[in-house]
Amino acid sequence: MSLEIKALYKKYDTISLFSDFNISFQEGTITCILGPSGCGKTTLLNIIGDIIKPDSGQLTGFREKTASYIFQDPRLLPWKTVEENIGFVLSKDMPAEERKKITGQLIKLMELENFALYYPSKLSGGMRQRVSIARAFAYPSDIILMDEPLKGLDIKLKLNLIRIFSQMWLTDKRTVIFVTHDVDEALLLGNDIIVLSRPPVKIITKKQLDLPLEERRLDSDSFRELKRNLMSALGNQ
Amino acid sequence: MLVVWKILSLHFKSDFILPSPEKTLVTTLALFVDSRFLATVGTTILRGLAGFIVSGILGIATGIITGLNPFINAFLQPILVTIRSIPVISIILLALIWFHPGMVPVFIGMLTMFPFITTNVSDGIRSIDSDLIVMSCFYKVNRRRIIRELYIPAIMPFIISGASSALGIGWRAIIIGEVLSQPEYGIGTVMQNAQTFLNVDAVIAWTIIAVLISFGFEKMIRLVESRLINWRA
Repeated sequence: MSLEIKALYKKYDTISLFSDFNISFQEGTITCILGPSGCGKTTLLNIIGDIIKPDSGQLTGFREKTASYIFQDPRLLPWKTVEENIGFVLSKDMPAEERKKITGQLIKLMELENFALYYPSKLSGGMRQRVSIARAFAYPSDIILMDEPLKGLDIKLKLNLIRIFSQMWLTDKRTVIFVTHDVDEALLLGNDIIVLSRPPVKIITKKQLDLPLEERRLDSDSFRELKRNLMSALGNQ
Repeated sequence: MLVVWKILSLHFKSDFILPSPEKTLVTTLALFVDSRFLATVGTTILRGLAGFIVSGILGIATGIITGLNPFINAFLQPILVTIRSIPVISIILLALIWFHPGMVPVFIGMLTMFPFITTNVSDGIRSIDSDLIVMSCFYKVNRRRIIRELYIPAIMPFIISGASSALGIGWRAIIIGEVLSQPEYGIGTVMQNAQTFLNVDAVIAWTIIAVLISFGFEKMIRLVESRLINWRA
């Protein structure tokens, strides 16, 4: 089964962002979309998430699915604790115990146990993003859309978040569409890695990585080779 | 301040111009045991609360409407500015013609407090982070919960600061209203009487009481604030 976008058109003023653009995603895997900034990656995610309407185009498989969104900024409610922020996306029809169970589990998996009752103002940037990830997994969705959630975090935090995210995803393999401009992030998380061009957007290259997430090392030889390839694909445009 | 007061009172040597601080203190304390004290203070406080509640309800409602709708805001803005620039005394003079003496101060209080609350709530609504609304809608959180869990907590700090500035000015307006409308009970009424008989110590004593009331309510608002808005860094 796959999720597909066919013949997508989207214009902003006079710039034609997408013109007869086609892409497909494999379900139950992580697809990383790499591209230069301003190439319309976020717009693509927003079209998939139904936040923005395309001018025209056919989306197959998306409408009957629900999606979670991990935004670039964590977008937490400042007056809710970590626990309440995660629970915010759960339906109020759900029994309180079950809600408690779900949030409790996610807090543990995201390594936030000691911070469950903290307000976002008391958390670091990396921790806030962890809450946002937990919220995305708490929501009963089929697809998780991620818009450069690691941007602006230092390398140590970034690797830590990737580790936690992988750990999380391995327990709950949803379809993930992960937009980024950082090749390392794509190499550590992507099952498919797709490089996009500047507008009008085309797919420059597509790589498939079968190595399990937990065995991926950035300093391995095959990764270095792949990284060089992807970097040149990103740079040559 | 007390020292300056003492020196000045020694200089004038007249209770009709400036009584000494000790005498005023005795007068103030004596007020508390006066049989009409509770009725006087209580009525003024009730007037303040009535004006505050009415202006609160109206202010929050108009604040929400103007905050959400720029068109209505553009229409109401000049009206609010006008209300705020009308001298309090003009409103009092008109209110004296229109209303029962007991109601005049309530009306004055309401009218002076209303713009503060409206403006604050309106600013609060406009300050709501639209990204949070996008997030809530994306996760299909229903409208009622978005209002209760996003809009209301977001404007709460604005409502509280609006209430604080409104009451700060409201008490003063209400007492002026009482001075001029002379209802049966009220701090303004007794102050006016005291002034007529040159009981300067009583005028100052009632002023101290008025300051204490204002101070007490400000403290109460801050207490509510720290209870309700404990999420700020």
